[in-house]
Parts: sequence; C-alpha cells; structure tokens
Amino acid sequence: MGLIQVEIRLAGFDPWQELGQWAGHSAAVAVFVGRVRSTAMDGRPLQALELEHYPGLCERQINRMAVQLQRKHAAGAMLVVHRVGRLLPGEPIVLVAVQADRRGAAQRCSAALLEQLKHQAPFWKREWCADQGTWLKENTSL
Amino acid sequence: MLQVLLFASLRERAGWSERSLSWSSDYATPRAVWDRLELGSLQGISIAVNQELVDADQPLQAGDELAFLPPFTGG
Repeated sequence: MGLIQVEIRLAGFDPWQELGQWAGHSAAVAVFVGRVRSTAMDGRPLQALELEHYPGLCERQINRMAVQLQRKHAAGAMLVVHRVGRLLPGEPIVLVAVQADRRGAAQRCSAALLEQLKHQAPFWKREWCADQGTWLKENTSL
Repeated sequence: MLQVLLFASLRERAGWSERSLSWSSDYATPRAVWDRLELGSLQGISIAVNQELVDADQPLQAGDELAFLPPFTGG
C-alpha cells in the first residue's frame, strides 16, 4: 500500500507543482483538480468562495476514507490537497490524485474519494456575491 | 463541563461558535443538548463527539467536545 497524504491549506496552491513533488512511479495516475466557478449557484457573478472546515475531524475523516478506498481498489499512493479560507474564481479548491497499477483502479478510486470528500468530510462553502454571503445547502450535482 | 461547537450556517443562526455548559444529567445525549439550544430541527445535522461522528443518542460524558455540523459542501 502506498502513502496517503492529506493536507488542508489556508494558502493558495498550484496543483501541478504539488503533483511534481509527489513521489511514486505507478503505471497509472488519476488526477482531479477542482477550481472555483465564476458564477454562483443562482447564476450571479461570484465575488469569492469561502471554505470552512472542522480541523482535526476533517483530516481524520479524509484519511479514513482514503485508507478504506485504497484497500477496496488495491490502489497505491494517494494525495489530497484541499483549500480553506477565502478563494477567488479560478483558484484551485481541491486536488485528488491516486496511483495504481491499472487505469481502472486509479480512476475508480479517485472518483470515489472525491465523492466521499464532498459528502462525508466536514467542509462548508459560502458564496459571496455583491458583498453578501450565502452558505450552500448542498453540493453541485455530479 | 461540556464544550459545544457550532459551524458555518449553524454558528451564524445561533450567533455563537463555542459554548461551555456546566455538566448536568439533562445533557445525557447530543439530542438532549440540541433540544435545549432551540436551533430548529436536527434533521440533516451531523454530530461529532470528541471529533468522531456519532448518532444523536450516543451517551455523553462530562468533558466531551460536542459539535453540531450542517450538511457538508466541500470538494
């Protein structure tokens, strides 16, 4: 089993630089990068996106999901970097990368981890439009 | 003591993020604490005790950290 690396960052990050520094030489690597949209859920121009988390529980939940999924999919090294704080449109929010011997395992494991991360890790998004903040009630659809 | 934490929209609805309650048998479970906070329905709210997700009827003990968490919207 490969190393599982989970990081919650207050400062902005460059996903491609993170991947460049990530160890491992597996045959297959699946990568997902999520960025802040330029429009809010209601279609208005988005000024900023605020992300809050529950420190401690959040990192543990993601680690727990990653361990289970790594075992289920026989995946290798896994990397999760997730932003918190105030983000501007276009800024990376999340990077999920999974290594495996085969593309199927890497892609399935990566997709499953991202879905669990969205629904089972204590993060909350607040959209800011025209200086007014609105907490999101649910995630965007797949 | 019982440490109660609220996050995101719940924190804004309540107007506070953290509160220490003197331990009492009235606070036997997260559900019992929630009912006394008068913050509406518990439906859709996740609960963590000492940073582990639990159900609303898990017994509480003095010194616990109890957090009420609105629906998650990360990723």
